Amino acid sequence: MSHELTIEPLGETITVEDGQTVLDACLRAGVWLPHACGHGLCGTCKVDVVDGEVDHGSASPFALMDFERDEGKVLACTCTLTSDVTIEAEIDEDPDARVIPVRDFAVTVSRLVDLTHDVKGVFLTIEGDGIDFQAGQFINLHLPGVEGTRAFSLANPPSRGTGIELHVRLVPGGAGTTYIHQTLKEGDRLTVSGPYGRFFVRKSATEPMIFLAGGTGLSSPKSMILDLLEDGRTEPMTLIHGVRTQADLYDRALFEDLAARHENFRYVPALSSEPEDSGWTGERGFVHDVMNRLFDGFLGGHKAYLCGPPPMIEACIRTLMQGRLFEKHIFTEKFITAKDASEAPRSPVFKRI
Amino acid sequence: MSAKKLGLKQRYALMTRGLDWETSYQPMDKVFPYDTFEGIKIKDWSAWEDPFRLTMDNYWKFQAEKERKLYAVLDSFAQNNGQTGLSDGRYVNAIKLFLTGVSPLEYQAHRGFAHAGRHLRGVGPRIAAQMQSLDELRHAQTQIHTISHYNKFFDGFHEFRHMHDRVWYLSVPKSFFDDARSAGPFEYMVAIGFAFEYVLTNLLFVPFMSGAAYNGDLATVTFGFSAQSDESRHMTLGIEVIKFLLEQHPDNLPIVQKWVDKWFWRGHRVLGLVAMMMDYMLPKRVMSWKEAWEIYFTQAGGALFQDLERYGLRVPKYADVATEEAEHISHQNWAIFYQYTHAAGFHTWMPKPDEMDWLSEKYPNTFDKYYRPRFEMWAEMEKKGERFYNMGLPQLCTTCQIPMGYTEPGDPTTICFRTSEYKGDTYHFCSDGCKDIFDDEPEKFSQSWLPVHQIFQGNCGGATVPDVLDWYKLNVGADNMDYAGSPDEKVWKAWEAAKKSQGSARTEDAGAKTAAE
Repeated sequence: MSHELTIEPLGETITVEDGQTVLDACLRAGVWLPHACGHGLCGTCKVDVVDGEVDHGSASPFALMDFERDEGKVLACTCTLTSDVTIEAEIDEDPDARVIPVRDFAVTVSRLVDLTHDVKGVFLTIEGDGIDFQAGQFINLHLPGVEGTRAFSLANPPSRGTGIELHVRLVPGGAGTTYIHQTLKEGDRLTVSGPYGRFFVRKSATEPMIFLAGGTGLSSPKSMILDLLEDGRTEPMTLIHGVRTQADLYDRALFEDLAARHENFRYVPALSSEPEDSGWTGERGFVHDVMNRLFDGFLGGHKAYLCGPPPMIEACIRTLMQGRLFEKHIFTEKFITAKDASEAPRSPVFKRI
Repeated sequence: MSAKKLGLKQRYALMTRGLDWETSYQPMDKVFPYDTFEGIKIKDWSAWEDPFRLTMDNYWKFQAEKERKLYAVLDSFAQNNGQTGLSDGRYVNAIKLFLTGVSPLEYQAHRGFAHAGRHLRGVGPRIAAQMQSLDELRHAQTQIHTISHYNKFFDGFHEFRHMHDRVWYLSVPKSFFDDARSAGPFEYMVAIGFAFEYVLTNLLFVPFMSGAAYNGDLATVTFGFSAQSDESRHMTLGIEVIKFLLEQHPDNLPIVQKWVDKWFWRGHRVLGLVAMMMDYMLPKRVMSWKEAWEIYFTQAGGALFQDLERYGLRVPKYADVATEEAEHISHQNWAIFYQYTHAAGFHTWMPKPDEMDWLSEKYPNTFDKYYRPRFEMWAEMEKKGERFYNMGLPQLCTTCQIPMGYTEPGDPTTICFRTSEYKGDTYHFCSDGCKDIFDDEPEKFSQSWLPVHQIFQGNCGGATVPDVLDWYKLNVGADNMDYAGSPDEKVWKAWEAAKKSQGSARTEDAGAKTAAE
């Protein structure tokens, strides 16, 4: 039987399966807890149980002292739940993070637009107040006849909470995206739940911003940029949108218009496989290479927001770090699935990226 | 509205921040004279993230409970004559190697972290180094207390501290730490905090601790657990050191890379002793050295260096050579010790036939082809009463101080031999890795205290082997030579015989009881 786990000071609540450890559940939910050995020997993942009943599992008596057990401490890597539980963990509190409860919404498909040959713009209308979220977050979409849910980042700004915008690329053989591209029609009714994720703009920061988007990874940065410009922010912002060819580029007119109207906003489409003779005069190459050229290899002093396929994210992180911008200033959505957990373990060098 | 409760991290910060001050009677550069000469540039000490938020009062509380638990186990091990429950008397030799070779390193680490802590001007690393310094002292003490029980029954333990400073093969781990402790504070932190405590620690501790568990040594297993509970702080500190240095200034990268290359290779050489222990000295084997290397270096280290590559830091130089050596190093080291058993503080033996088969299975590419024939020949000679001893003194590698017995990368039949000239003298090395280290700091390594040179120079008690062994405080005929025929073996056989006669007595009792019923 599964139990609810509330994690303070975040205030987030997640579900922990029977026999699943607190650490595993947290990491899968995108909540990073300090940890090292992973099997109850070192004590790095110690957290406080504020409320509820737990099983200590195989926590070593040297890593978790008797007096600590009496005080309600547990090791997240071995501890399982026997009731609903609230823990308090050493998590960096983020002044920009809002705690927004996840809700279910009934939505209607108001419009379907072909953004490119394989990307659809999906517009959904929510009755009532709409969805409250932070620009950058994502929702889970339930599709009729498709098992499970599909996660999509919101491309609309939070000011337009009643009109959801999603960018969906057709994944060959993918049940969810095939349904959206081939079966979904205007007027269909669906349910979504959200908002999810810890990828959002750090509005308390005042550094110039770099947004790095790959393909439909444009959705989150689009929401973020619209939100910031609506707020009247004046920090320099650069958006680099990487796609293969001109045929894969979308929302170009919108961003060119924004760039024309806001002198602090720069829009740089970057094409990695555009034919040489196409007459394209803009940037060519991968997102990280274009960024490196634009900033002359020095990226320190920025905040960077990354959204796109994993190889692009990794290449951008390397370029940013070798350009002297480090983890504290790099933000990206990290989806950890059951598959990731079975692969070779990552080292504990980085927490979020 | 009530004030929001502070998070653990904030509470710790408020309790500990601002404890440091800028000195005014003396300039800061005079108070901290050693943290600039290495070329490391620090722009902002406050960017140091406290990796493990622990206050001193809590620290004592934790360690006190760990001690109580450990000493309760040690008492019960002693009272129940735990030593008689070991897998085999030969096992104790692994513990002799640990006490003479590793426990003194814990003490060296204690002193090294105390020194580094004193000489780093940032308060964050200073507190972390202070706690690790205390941990290391605790580890040295608990290991000595644990192992002292064996000293009541077996040879080779009695002069461990003295031997560490003098005996030829113990100069390998000793010089490793001497090198780190005589470096600047940043190099020390990278050498010991990162390379040793983070990258290589599992290859040192896991083999000894699982070896203890497999061979019935509950006391050693328990001090292992007790020490490992401190390791999280040490490992996090090692990672934080690297991240901090690499993020502070781009000029730090080549310096850190050089240290990572150097200390990886030096660590790899020291761990050759552990490799030999795993493959040859444990009567019940856990896994082969090659398997341990694959899990703890190739996989775990691979993930680590993949992440560090984001900073531009490469996998250590010669990591590929070290991985190739994992097929050979345990066999080559055991062969060295077998030949020089008359000068070693523990016993040796040739593997029994079933042990040879285990080695063949674990080393299908190398054991039967290169090592089994030699070992079978030596076993044969032993039977004929012609046990082979090497009575010459071996040439040592100037850097790692190991006899020059290792082979060329890619050619296991040719001894690897490198030299460098420095101020008119020729220095010898076992590998490219050791030669590079010397070439980078010849003025330091040309002063190495090399045991064989010291013997020839007359600094080790005299001109003959017995003189030198006496100077080592080695109890000849008991501490050294083969296990077969040793006093250790005699004690062990007596226990075994007693167990057997008790066992048969018990069986007879049970039989009598059944008959009576």
